[in-house]
Amino acid sequence: MQGPKPVQLSKSILDMKFMKRTKERVLKEQEDAEGKAMYSNEITDEMKKSGTIVFTETSIFNCRNLIEGRLSFGGMNPEIEKLMSNDYTRKKQEVEKRKETDVSDAQMAQEYSTLVNTMANKFSGKKNRNKRKFIKPSEDF
Amino acid sequence: MLVFPGDVVKDVKSVKGVTVLGPGVAPDGSTVRVTRAGRLHAKPPNTYWVEHDQKRYVPKRGDLVVGIVVKKSGDLLKIDIGGSEPASLSMLAFEGATKKQKPDLQVGDLVYGRLLNAHKEMEPELVCVDSYFKAGKLGPLSNEGFLVTVSLGLVWRLLEAENPILEAVGKAAPFEIAVGMNGRVWVNGRSVKDVLNVVRCLEVAERHDDRTVLDFCKQLK
Repeated sequence: MQGPKPVQLSKSILDMKFMKRTKERVLKEQEDAEGKAMYSNEITDEMKKSGTIVFTETSIFNCRNLIEGRLSFGGMNPEIEKLMSNDYTRKKQEVEKRKETDVSDAQMAQEYSTLVNTMANKFSGKKNRNKRKFIKPSEDF
Repeated sequence: MLVFPGDVVKDVKSVKGVTVLGPGVAPDGSTVRVTRAGRLHAKPPNTYWVEHDQKRYVPKRGDLVVGIVVKKSGDLLKIDIGGSEPASLSMLAFEGATKKQKPDLQVGDLVYGRLLNAHKEMEPELVCVDSYFKAGKLGPLSNEGFLVTVSLGLVWRLLEAENPILEAVGKAAPFEIAVGMNGRVWVNGRSVKDVLNVVRCLEVAERHDDRTVLDFCKQLK
């Protein structure tokens, strides 16, 4: 079964000023589709020849997930600081969140295990004490 | 893991048949071979690269770099980005630039740009706008700042989100900085003394760990 045909925007609508971003997206989709059609044969051939892995190169920037290096601190360049609030601050917060959860995970396990013990002691203690009371003395006495 | 050139990376994982290779590793048939001595890093799910101390910059597509204008010819600028070859930067690749109204850039000026194209056999190409023709953080850097060159390892360290150095320096005195992936760092502050303090912090960071640098920053106050 084929799904319904995706809705396509006409060219005149895409040329309108407020459609700039959508136009870019549509163009990119078109290009991607063309590229796929063009290279689909070659890639499958290559994949058959050399196993199944396709390698793509990237910069260390993406490998290590670095932040963009244009920064401003203490209100030196308000423009840059405004732009920084989008990505830099978010990444910082992510890191802090990760740190917090990391610590609490480890602590949680430890705390929880001790908690389990204390709770267990609390219950078992009373019962044991009670049980001890109720154990009959051996007949030797 | 310590690796040497020629080593084969074992258990290479891929997602949908794609494996991402960073610097220091290269595909060899269907295997991955190491091309530099250093430490092998892997990031789940499918990224591999080798890190080692280095000062040489190899241009890579998408990198943000600090470049020096070395030549002006018509609409094209030649920019020294520390690679094997100067990059080209069109005068029209700035926000709001037109044929008649070009940015005022002289030989020796600094720009912060993104590498649009960096192929082994081709001249690298810089731009100072994003795909919406907005400058964002890119563009010419003011002449008031100060340029230093640091090792690439320090650049990577400074730009890690969890690294506290830049923030700590910022607490001592306001400053702005442009760290290029090519090892060039441009610093600007309210006074010459502030700028020099930042530069000294960078020098200390080159040889010492984060904690030492933070102690040094506290002394600056």
